[in-house]
Amino acid sequence: MSAADVPTPKRPFFRRKKTCPFSGPKAKKIDWKDEKLLSHYISERGKMIPSRITAVSQKKQRELSQAIKRARYMALLPYVRLENDGFQKRQGRM
Amino acid sequence: MAFYETVFIARQELSSSQVEALTEQFCTVLKDNGAKIHKTEQWGLRTLAYRIKKSRRGFYVLIESDAPAAALHEMERQMRLHEDVLRYMSIKEEELSTGPSVILDKDRDNRDDNRNDRDDNRNKNTKEAA
Repeated sequence: MSAADVPTPKRPFFRRKKTCPFSGPKAKKIDWKDEKLLSHYISERGKMIPSRITAVSQKKQRELSQAIKRARYMALLPYVRLENDGFQKRQGRM
Repeated sequence: MAFYETVFIARQELSSSQVEALTEQFCTVLKDNGAKIHKTEQWGLRTLAYRIKKSRRGFYVLIESDAPAAALHEMERQMRLHEDVLRYMSIKEEELSTGPSVILDKDRDNRDDNRNDRDDNRNKNTKEAA
């Protein structure tokens, strides 16, 4: 714990320290088939979200990235989502 | 022998009985080469995240097996040649799974209540708003 993590009344924008969502006793398993879980860790565009934002640990981030790549290959997740295509249907492709 | 899970996507033009026949066919290939089938799952017709061979939707099938490498190679070879298989992927597992895979677990969302204070929830919300 560094000094920055300790809450003080002087700092109005205190942020609770985030913990890795895949570590600890109640942690979820990373599975490439779990499309819903993985979709929380990709951006609207379909890119992976960096672990400094999601607080996933280094070890788990590697697992996560492998899982996302597998899910992309099997078309469970998109490689890239463009602005003009909605979740299901796509318009203006001609 | 090692544990493998294989998922393949079949063309949407097939009927579900044809997909089951296809699954049976690949399982037989595995069995003939000395493998044990742990379970098979039909995920049904799902929308693909992007087009594969001009298809928008496809039937997903999972086969979990305890197979020698040669059996798996033979099955993959046949999948590659089969025109109704859009895509396949085999992954080696440390241990066999128990119960159905998460993708079939529909009411899992209702139990998802301990992540409301997480920051990645915010990302989810923005996605829904878009």
